[in-house]
Amino acid sequence: MSELKSGPKNEITPDMWGEMDKIIDSYKDKPGSLIPVLEECQNVSGYLPIEVQERVSRGLNIPGSTIYGVVTFYSFFTMVPKGRHTIKVCLGTACYVRGGKANLDFIKDEFEVEVGATTADLRFSLDSVRCLGACGMAPAMVVDEDTYAQVSRGNIMEILERYK
Amino acid sequence: MGRINRNQLNEIRLSGKDIVDIRLGKVPIKADGEKHLMICGGTACYASKSEPVRDALKREVETRGLSNRCKVIETGNDAFATLAPVMVVYPEGVYYVHLIPDDVHDIVSQHLINGKPVERLFYRDIENDKPISKMMDIPYFSHQRMVTLRNLTLIDPENIDDAIARDAYQGAAKALIDMAAEEIIDQMKISGLRGRGGAGFPTGMKWEFASKAKGAVKYILCNADEGDPGAFMDRSVLEADPHAVLEGMIIAAKAINAHQGYIYCRAEYPLAIKRLSIAIGQARQYGLLGTDILESGFDFDLEIYQGAGAFVCGEETALMTSIEGKRGMPRPRPPFPAQEGLWKKPTVLNNVETLANVAQITLNGGEWYASVGTESSKGTKVFALSGKLNNSGLVEVPMGMPLKNIIYQIGGGIPEGKRFKGVQLGGPSGGCIPSELLDTVTDYEAITSTGAIMGSGGMVVMDEDNCMVDIARFFMEFCQEESCGKCTPGREGTKRMLEILLRITEGRGELSDIDTLEELAMMVKDSALCGLGQTAPNPVLSTLRYFRHEYEDHILEHRCEAGVCPNLVKAKCINACPLGQEVPGYIALIKEERFEEAIRLIRQTNPMPGTLGRVCNHPCMDVCVRAQTDEPINIPKIKRYAADMARERGIVVEFKKAKGNSENIAVIGGGPSGLGAAYYLSLMGYSVTIFEELPKLGGMLRYGIPAYRLPRDILDEEIDYMINTGITVRTGVRVGREISMGELQKGFDAIFVGIGAHRSQTMGIPGEDREGVFGGAEFLRQVELGTPPAIGKTVAVIGGGNVAIDVARICRRMGSEVTILYRREQKDMPAAIDEIEDALAEGINLRTLMMPESIANVNGRLAFTMHRCKPGGFDKDGRRIPTPIPGEVVEEQYDTIFAAIGQVSDTSLISTFDLRKGWITVDRLTLKTNLDNVYAGGDAVTGPAMVVDALAAGKRAAIAIDRDLSAKRREKPYKEQHDKIFMTMQVPEEIVKQDMTRTPKISAEERIKDFREVERGFDIETVKRECARCLRCDVKID
Repeated sequence: MSELKSGPKNEITPDMWGEMDKIIDSYKDKPGSLIPVLEECQNVSGYLPIEVQERVSRGLNIPGSTIYGVVTFYSFFTMVPKGRHTIKVCLGTACYVRGGKANLDFIKDEFEVEVGATTADLRFSLDSVRCLGACGMAPAMVVDEDTYAQVSRGNIMEILERYK
Repeated sequence: MGRINRNQLNEIRLSGKDIVDIRLGKVPIKADGEKHLMICGGTACYASKSEPVRDALKREVETRGLSNRCKVIETGNDAFATLAPVMVVYPEGVYYVHLIPDDVHDIVSQHLINGKPVERLFYRDIENDKPISKMMDIPYFSHQRMVTLRNLTLIDPENIDDAIARDAYQGAAKALIDMAAEEIIDQMKISGLRGRGGAGFPTGMKWEFASKAKGAVKYILCNADEGDPGAFMDRSVLEADPHAVLEGMIIAAKAINAHQGYIYCRAEYPLAIKRLSIAIGQARQYGLLGTDILESGFDFDLEIYQGAGAFVCGEETALMTSIEGKRGMPRPRPPFPAQEGLWKKPTVLNNVETLANVAQITLNGGEWYASVGTESSKGTKVFALSGKLNNSGLVEVPMGMPLKNIIYQIGGGIPEGKRFKGVQLGGPSGGCIPSELLDTVTDYEAITSTGAIMGSGGMVVMDEDNCMVDIARFFMEFCQEESCGKCTPGREGTKRMLEILLRITEGRGELSDIDTLEELAMMVKDSALCGLGQTAPNPVLSTLRYFRHEYEDHILEHRCEAGVCPNLVKAKCINACPLGQEVPGYIALIKEERFEEAIRLIRQTNPMPGTLGRVCNHPCMDVCVRAQTDEPINIPKIKRYAADMARERGIVVEFKKAKGNSENIAVIGGGPSGLGAAYYLSLMGYSVTIFEELPKLGGMLRYGIPAYRLPRDILDEEIDYMINTGITVRTGVRVGREISMGELQKGFDAIFVGIGAHRSQTMGIPGEDREGVFGGAEFLRQVELGTPPAIGKTVAVIGGGNVAIDVARICRRMGSEVTILYRREQKDMPAAIDEIEDALAEGINLRTLMMPESIANVNGRLAFTMHRCKPGGFDKDGRRIPTPIPGEVVEEQYDTIFAAIGQVSDTSLISTFDLRKGWITVDRLTLKTNLDNVYAGGDAVTGPAMVVDALAAGKRAAIAIDRDLSAKRREKPYKEQHDKIFMTMQVPEEIVKQDMTRTPKISAEERIKDFREVERGFDIETVKRECARCLRCDVKID
């Protein structure tokens, strides 16, 4: 249970539970639907704590251990809430050879956050990704849905300022 | 419009013909004609801010009332990522690059309204900076052959009618209505199409297995999980031409009789998923997906299944397991997916690129596809070029193209003039191919034989600033993190290999680690359950095969040549210097006017600072981090200042000699390598004798580099300093003449051979032995000896290196008219750029692309026949091969001709030396030759190289000799100890842009009158200002 860090926690509202139940119901009879269900539920609640996993388990009639196994296998699922904004620094080959790691270290220092974790004020979650497929624009970085190219110390703060 | 049948499909296609004709440039170009502005809208283009350009363009077109005839259409990925945002304007086919919203005004007024394309927005050729207006004229595109990418810039991916106008679903119609399943499979087999995801399994065969499998329920899966770092081919196809993939799946479904399909697309590709969803929706609306497609009676529908961030799910069985809602862990095979795949039903999984070829193969026939490519690898392949390349992006080339063409012709070579080191093919499953193998062609088997794999097509180029051990560690880290954990070799094997690699990059490696790595690698390769584990060791094995010396250096000498591994590199300049000079340290000391400490620090690793400060080729400046802000620091001239200052003030630095040892060492050759070896051996306490053939010591420093570059008093002083440590010198002695090698081997305990390379290479043309034709290196020596041959009024010097330049400049000073003739282009000349500029300033003519043919005697003058050349194809080092232009033969007359195309070594003193191409073979780290107690270094081993390389080789040999001799004495080897000099460890607070200060030179007209030193040094204020620019990379901030 090493994923259960005593980190920031987000409240899950009754509305959210309602939405998640709807999602579960819509997929109930489709075989192999666990992953899409978890993806959509995570879009609602922001993360997949044990409570949500139990809800899905009862709804889809799949053992909790199986669900826990899937949640911990795929890097997209998180049991800890994400920040309002996600920063993904690409460390794929091309970005790596062009200084991707220096960018990552810079962000870690400036915002006092580790890779895979969230800033204390829940503003940013930091992740390194293997490859964004934007290799021609190395080094690359994604913040939420926006992809940024040729990122460096010179422009990182300016980019992140836009994300409150 | 609702469901359509085949006739209606053809009608839609016909109605789109006008649009297609405009985009194919098949209509006359009129200033006020219809224009299609195809602006790129792929992920790379979005990241380069193409959306504001698109929006500004739409607004401006609307405002100017042009919306009727000027259509702004957003296309998928336009492939040449480095130039993004890009736009093509049809029917002209004009290609605009690097667009910003402010450019829109000009495009609309000049081009759309007045019919004049905006030249300043054209692409500029890398080599000659000429503007190129049309996309297909740009070398990047003209060498490609688009099959999968055939719709590049031609369609709106979110409009099915555009795709249909370009023949989309014609192949599906033919397959569903005209062909039987066997026929479809047959054509696929004839085409020779092999899986483009990486494994290269014949697609036709795979379909055949699945079609023969029993069962009513079968599945077609599309693998769009493209997880290889460095690969973005599939993403681009999905973003630009999604219908091609859908159509491929329909045809595959008919071939194997499946009625349900899935596209497993990684979640990191939101734009691809969006465009796919739109495409699927539009296809369904037309009834091209669903029941009774095109009234053929065939049913097929598909869904998108989004990945969740696991690289292993790109593996066939793991992907299927993931769709089944489980942890994406691979399954053992057999049973193979063609028999038991998704939900245990017969399944075919094909890669996006593979599927994107299917419709065209079906439409045009398998033979059409097989007409391109090699024997075993048919068709074309899309590669994703990235890394240290001028041109990054997607390229589609016929199989069988040499890699060097892709890298240099299409990729545009390495930026900033850096040296190519390797290209990674196939991502974390692949290997690195070094420059020696760049003739390898793109063919599955040819690439596999090098130890790499074709893979999905990712090609990441690396240069001299990349550390191959670090690259191996990077890929192993990736595989280790992405390993699913199911099998022990995958889970534990990668972990152990990663641990070893980490230790090596941190300087804690041991020699046995290399063997352990290889053993583990072979074990993991053989026994891992799936492709991830089986191929994870490839980068390690491949780098060990071609870059073993980097591993050895990290382990044995704690050295990372590329300057990457943080634990092993103090600062890039220190790391790049063959002598390991403490550059930031002495710069800081000079800045503080602590001159005595500065020169002391310099001399701790460099006994010839006045010389090197003047003539060194400064590898330190090539990696200076300051260059990323403005320009590098002028390191050699700062060093020169310290040396000159010390000389002026009479500061002499003394180093303590070790206690005397009994052994005698002979050093053959008094050039920089011999001097270096003698000096360090002398400090170590040995009795050293230098045997030098010429009247004075110095080697090429004196008999190669002219006095106007290196004043003789400076050189003499620095040589004397070294000799005064107690070295015996015997000049005028040639080994093999006054004394034999055998006598030396008897009389001395060890011998260092530093005989250099100063015999001119012959040109191999008729007439080069005529009177008046001389070798360049010989001439330099004779000038110094005071016995130069008489030269005439007009002189030709052939060659492009420093020797050629020096010969030319000396002849100029002797009053001749001089022309340098070089067979390649000026940018290819090996001489230092400064030297070339100085020569040109002195009135020397430079003619490039001239190849010597023959020399004849005409009326007492030399008639030189040459062939004019043009830059031809690329060689393995990325240089253009000079190709004689037929019929363009030139004859010119000269009084004197010098051949300065290179030097070779005269190793006749020892006939038993192991030689390779004429150079002495030595052990890389100890410089031992094949003869007992004989070591060698410098130009005689490496070929002509830098002075600092020779000095460093001398020191390396001294250390090796001492290690061997002390071992015989049963004593510990000499350990160099220096006083610690304390420097202020402070980083500059503010960085203000300031170009490098160059040292002043005497004017050209003045300086060619004699041999006085051309370059003047810094004064104290200037040098302090230059020192203040240093970023102090040696200071570590915790």
